[in-house]
Amino acid sequence: MKLAPSRICQLFFLALFLLLFVQTEYRGRDEINAAVNAFFRVDPLVLFSYLLAVKSWSWLLLPALLMVVATLLLGRFFCGWICPLGTLLDLVTSKIRKSAPIKALKGNTKYWLLLPLLSASLFNLNLSGLLDPIAILLRALTFLFYPILGMAARGGWVSLYSAIGERRDTVAPAYNLIRDNLLPFRDTIYPLAFFSAAVLICIIALERFETRNWCRNLCPLGTLLGWLGRFSPFNRLPTSLCGDCGKCRELCPTGFDRDVLIKEECILCMECQRGCPHGRISFLPGLMKGNGPLLPERRLLLGGMAGGMLLALPARFRPPEKQSRLLRPPGVQDEDDFLKKCVRCGECMKVCLKNALYPAAYQAGLEGIYTPLVIPRLGYCEYNCTLCGQVCPTGAIPSLPVEAKRREVIGKAVFDKNHCLPFARKIDCIVCEEHCPIPEKAIRSRDVQVSGLDGLVKTVKEPYLVEEICNGCGICENVCPVETKAGIEVFAVKNRTPIPVQSDGHESN
Amino acid sequence: MDRRTFIKATGSAVLLAPVLIRETLAAREPSLVAVAEGTDYAATTRKAINAVGGMKRFVKSGDVVVVKPNMGWDRASEFAANTHPLVVRAVVEECLAAGAKKVKVFDYTCNDSRRCYVNSGIEGALKGMKNVECKQIEPERFKKTTLNGQFLKEWELYDEALSANVYINVPIAKHHGLSKLTLGLKNVMGIMGGNRGYVHRSLDIALADINAHVKTHLTIIDATRILTAHGPQGGNIADVKVLNKVIASTDTVAADAFATTLFGMKPSDIPVTVAAYKRGLGEMNLDKIRIVRA
Repeated sequence: MKLAPSRICQLFFLALFLLLFVQTEYRGRDEINAAVNAFFRVDPLVLFSYLLAVKSWSWLLLPALLMVVATLLLGRFFCGWICPLGTLLDLVTSKIRKSAPIKALKGNTKYWLLLPLLSASLFNLNLSGLLDPIAILLRALTFLFYPILGMAARGGWVSLYSAIGERRDTVAPAYNLIRDNLLPFRDTIYPLAFFSAAVLICIIALERFETRNWCRNLCPLGTLLGWLGRFSPFNRLPTSLCGDCGKCRELCPTGFDRDVLIKEECILCMECQRGCPHGRISFLPGLMKGNGPLLPERRLLLGGMAGGMLLALPARFRPPEKQSRLLRPPGVQDEDDFLKKCVRCGECMKVCLKNALYPAAYQAGLEGIYTPLVIPRLGYCEYNCTLCGQVCPTGAIPSLPVEAKRREVIGKAVFDKNHCLPFARKIDCIVCEEHCPIPEKAIRSRDVQVSGLDGLVKTVKEPYLVEEICNGCGICENVCPVETKAGIEVFAVKNRTPIPVQSDGHESN
Repeated sequence: MDRRTFIKATGSAVLLAPVLIRETLAAREPSLVAVAEGTDYAATTRKAINAVGGMKRFVKSGDVVVVKPNMGWDRASEFAANTHPLVVRAVVEECLAAGAKKVKVFDYTCNDSRRCYVNSGIEGALKGMKNVECKQIEPERFKKTTLNGQFLKEWELYDEALSANVYINVPIAKHHGLSKLTLGLKNVMGIMGGNRGYVHRSLDIALADINAHVKTHLTIIDATRILTAHGPQGGNIADVKVLNKVIASTDTVAADAFATTLFGMKPSDIPVTVAAYKRGLGEMNLDKIRIVRA
């Protein structure tokens, strides 16, 4: 069977998505030219929620604006030609037996999702990424499926070593090829991994009821694109089922629930044209009145607005005890501004070199779910790495040159003298000083005469922090040899003004 | 000679022979430290190696050789945090020329290993060389090894370092906050797994324990440029001093002892050196070390 052009295009973009996903990782170069953020850059849902929340323009959004224009001209083609989640659904749906569509999802349900989401953005709560289809797919991959792939592959490789020892080296080149080009570098377990995958699986499970159930009845991006697509001069003709045939209803994955084509649900896959036994169908430009009013009814508009406002206010609650460890990626200076811009797509966490970034579950409040947090005990921010800023689609984490990024303050380290060995046990350690990447050392030590635990006087190197030049990268906390709780920890600070350029003016690396 | 004299002479000779043989063995050559100088780092490295007898003295045809540089930090080579790539490459080339079947170069890095391998310049310098491996550490290869040392009873050590025929230690000479300097004896930490920070609480003894267990055939200290402060990671070019020197010795303690003088310090200032000397791992008294300028 010959593949439809739309299907070829879908497969191409799915492959591209996966390729870019795998490329969103350090592979020996400081710059990542093409990352999976390309998909978010063209995402109009990201565009609108950003504009509503941040209330200013960013050139990073230009591709999404072009997508809006394209959708206004052509219709909702993104869903049928590009969206990788839609493609995934199209690929699996034939394996899933259908029962009847869910009545409750019909009607205005999708607007009841989209409108409060957009209105909440207006009230500074940008949660659109939670329901963005690309973000849902990406998070499920990043947090669960990709780590599982890595762990399975590495697990097999390690057990091969325990079986045959160094003789494993003979097959190493083949494994290295896979490892260097496909596998994640490090095995990481993320919070919310199961939940992220469960959301995706639920969306797939919705195919039990009808094809493209999510896309048609829930997806806020699809709803937005559908609404924009209503203005398109492109029309499928004839606009309704022919009395003598009606095969379209069978062929169409989305918009032929009723006898008339619902334009905003047509994803332009053109399956009807390909499958029409009479060759009657064409997609042509021409003025045509869309079905229904251009704006949703007033009750819905007002209700959506109110819903967003009601959502926005209580979601701002942040548990105060978590604030002290609310560490954001480098370059994020203002929490509120960050939350407005962050898509929660998970790319920064995917790319993070040392796996320092993890999705917040509840630490940042309901508002901050899935936003990236630095957890230094698990991974630290590598001094010379700028990858998270490079892949962030909206600049929530600014993309900075390495000289600037090194000076960005994530937090400040604080010693815990009850745990830190030279204080608590009167023995030498200073692993933290050794690892501190600041050329002038933000952690230094001094020789101090102490009476040891055995009562004898001895000299111990006691570390101390030079707070003005600490950027909170967290390597000290990460490498602290004290088990479980570190003797030095990074705490959040309000004033994240970058540390000043050192007065000696020497270029440092 | 009458019979009596003959018997006396043979008798005493027989009695004394073992003692004499032991004496001559004990009074072996003093530790030899070769110091080569020059701005062509590859040539300088070769000069130093040749001055201690050439690589053929250590590497036999068909040997698997481990060359262990210090590439623990994500710093470019001019910042003197990692062994110079040209020095490493010269050592590797000499090993291959001496007939090595395979040369393995690795380090258990402190920063992200991918970045360290790339930005130290060492991975790049070895790229495309045949029979040379510059692989990242694979954690499963650390083997719990019985040391029965004074501080460390056992520790996880890297199997490739343990199973190699020849182990060549190629540190860079640099400042270190805790041990004052990090040289050959401390570079062995790059084959240690586990919670390495733990050994900091008794670093000198721990390093003597490991060095007593791991046989180092040749130590080549890169002092082409040294890091004089803010070690072991540095990052400020003002802390780097260019010396254009490469030091080679079969005695790591002696090599370290000499390298200490480059920083204006005495070997006895460095507890790691002193502990290794006391353990009998080598000579640290500079007047008992034969220093050859190559």
